[in-house]
Amino acid sequence: MINRRQLMLGASLLALTPSMALAQAKNAAEVAVEAAKKFAGTEISIVWEAGLQSLDPLNYSGPKWEKLTGIKVKVVEVPTDQMFTKIMQDFRSGAGAYDALNVIPSWMPDLVKAGALEPLDAMVDQFGYRDELQDIAAAYRDNQMKVGDKIYGFPDDGDVMLLYYRKDIFEDPKMMEEFKAKHGYDLAPPKDWKQFSEIGQFITDKMAPKTYGAGFFRAAPYPQYMYQERFRMEGGKFFDAETMKSTVNSDVGVKVLQDMLADNKFMPPGVEQWNFVDNLANFLQGATAMTISWPPYGRWAAGYGSGEEALNWVPKTQVAGKVGYSINPLGRPELGVGFALSVSSASKNKEAAYLFIQWLNSKQTSLERVQLPYTLRDPFRTSHYESAEYRKLWPDAGAYLDTIKLSGEKGLLDLSMLQQDKYDEAMSKALSSLFAGTDPKAVADEMAAQFDAITEKVGADKQKEIYQAWAAKPGAYP
Amino acid sequence: MALPFSRLHDAMSTDTYGHRLSVFSDRNFKYLMVAPGILILLLVGIFPLIYSLVVSFQNITMTDVDTSFQGLLNYKQLFRDARLWQALGHTALITAIALPLELVLGFLLAQLFLERMPGRQIFVALLVLPTVLSPIVAGATWRLMFDVRFGPIGQIVSYFAGEPVTLLWTVNPSLVYPAIIICEVWQWTPFMFLLLLAALSNVDQSQLEAAELDGASYWRVLRQIIMPAIKPVVAIAVLIRGLDLFRIFDIIWALTEGGPGSMTETISLYTYVIGFTQFDTSYTAAVAFLVVALLSVIVTLVLRRMELVK
Repeated sequence: MINRRQLMLGASLLALTPSMALAQAKNAAEVAVEAAKKFAGTEISIVWEAGLQSLDPLNYSGPKWEKLTGIKVKVVEVPTDQMFTKIMQDFRSGAGAYDALNVIPSWMPDLVKAGALEPLDAMVDQFGYRDELQDIAAAYRDNQMKVGDKIYGFPDDGDVMLLYYRKDIFEDPKMMEEFKAKHGYDLAPPKDWKQFSEIGQFITDKMAPKTYGAGFFRAAPYPQYMYQERFRMEGGKFFDAETMKSTVNSDVGVKVLQDMLADNKFMPPGVEQWNFVDNLANFLQGATAMTISWPPYGRWAAGYGSGEEALNWVPKTQVAGKVGYSINPLGRPELGVGFALSVSSASKNKEAAYLFIQWLNSKQTSLERVQLPYTLRDPFRTSHYESAEYRKLWPDAGAYLDTIKLSGEKGLLDLSMLQQDKYDEAMSKALSSLFAGTDPKAVADEMAAQFDAITEKVGADKQKEIYQAWAAKPGAYP
Repeated sequence: MALPFSRLHDAMSTDTYGHRLSVFSDRNFKYLMVAPGILILLLVGIFPLIYSLVVSFQNITMTDVDTSFQGLLNYKQLFRDARLWQALGHTALITAIALPLELVLGFLLAQLFLERMPGRQIFVALLVLPTVLSPIVAGATWRLMFDVRFGPIGQIVSYFAGEPVTLLWTVNPSLVYPAIIICEVWQWTPFMFLLLLAALSNVDQSQLEAAELDGASYWRVLRQIIMPAIKPVVAIAVLIRGLDLFRIFDIIWALTEGGPGSMTETISLYTYVIGFTQFDTSYTAAVAFLVVALLSVIVTLVLRRMELVK
């Protein structure tokens, strides 16, 4: 005889059957589209980084989603440094002006602590997305998706720092011979920062002012990612895990700052004030032989997207076909920012917002999005790295994808604490002082003092818990 | 049809109670009439101040909206916050250099344009152009002018030096203040110039002519006739520009964003950063009250010194 409990269980299973069947029959993008059709005629809003990034939802994914589901997408463009603030303001006011969000993963602890992000686990299961999440590269999936054991965002941008170098210079027989004679090893992408300095100085000595050994962005806030990577790879720790006193002014910390400052000597004059675009322009015009930056440099250097109106500001590449890609010196590059797609807990249309981000993030749609030449979304799924379609985009696209994959697998996480923006600002200010000529030891001491003041204000015990959880992640320290 | 006030008043004065009311009304009617306006002004003007004062004793941040009172927590922090005092120092430095420069240059220009000359109106109009620009635009323009690769200033210097000269105006600590002062003086000297030109135009010509007939030197005329005559205008101009310089934000934001490090961070920039990027709301309120207190003292002293308030 069937009891009441069994009857209820049977009824529940029966009720779930259509959605389970739907989930099994279709991929995550199709499931999201089908489920979202009931919201046709409504509008959802999504916060997106202003500029090139926004062209994705404005020109491509937003109109396509509307065509598929009848849901309009309103894109709220916000400069990166204001995104956290705007999201929090909307949440605090309870206005619910934003439904879906782009969130920088290192902010997640703060946003979750405040209650601004909706936990997504239930909807992930309801709409059969868990399997496709496994396709996201481990560095992002394991580190940029959850706070505690709950999912709060889908990693959606494969940000990682790559080394770009001029193959034509590195493979020039005369240069190779002279370099080996001088330094005793082959002229090749540097394996450590000593080699980087030696190669950079060698090329500058041989080719400047036409071409300098290397160029980096040095204007705030970009160098802090390079600093975070080098500091940890040289053995530095940000804090004493027990006392939470900052240790960025340790001997290692001072040495890293000294080395970063010394590198400027073989870089072009004025490198101290280079931003993202200055560095890009110099590399694309052939003025620097090596640089380290995010993946879009590689696409643009190859000429991918040239002719796109939105990329008119990118200088025409003079180095297409001459650029090699490599993992950074010491082999553990900084993941550097990244974006995850989340749902605002203040949203009045959470399900529609969720379905939109599932569709955006799905294997099918995301592969289309990371190939858009005019946006900045970088490959972040195993299926992206393996995509035959992507590998045909330019002659070296395969090598490019292989390097992104390797770098992502080895990637180091950005420091992520409560009120991380303040630690970021302290690092940016410190590096800005460094490149203005302040003594590295004084810079390190000032940065440590700033870190300690922030930790004290937030509460050392609260930070200790967050820091220990962060430090336990595989990508936190080498 | 509305009754005139006097008849309304008469109508209310019909018995003893009414008489008392009438006397009260006589005395206070004027206050009654202005009360709504004053109340609204108080609400609009004073309420935010009181609210900010309350907030400054709490510990509200972007992620923590605990509104319990924390005593003097934020005010104690003011004294430990080295960056705050450095920002005040930077503000004072910029004010101390830019203000006299603008005053002297403005006065010299005003003297120059006091005389009738061909094309005077066109030159004056051109001179005033920087003042009508938004300061953020002026800052952005000068940032381009100072740019190490594309800026004309570096190119001109390199031309005269005969070799490429790398001047990092927004990075080099010894150049960054001159860059800010140049931009600030370029934009606001015309403001001083206009005020002083108006003041100089109104100096009593008969006194000047009499002094000239008596053979007085230019310096004596300047000290004993011109300066006393234009003193009130100079005082107001200095006060306005002094307050503007104390609040300087846009030009520095566009040129250096307070960098390198915090080397050019003024009190307005610092307040903006802690208030609107870090959202330390309560501490920002405490900083704002510190600034209000400092400015109140300074303005009162200046006004007394200049004998504008007696």
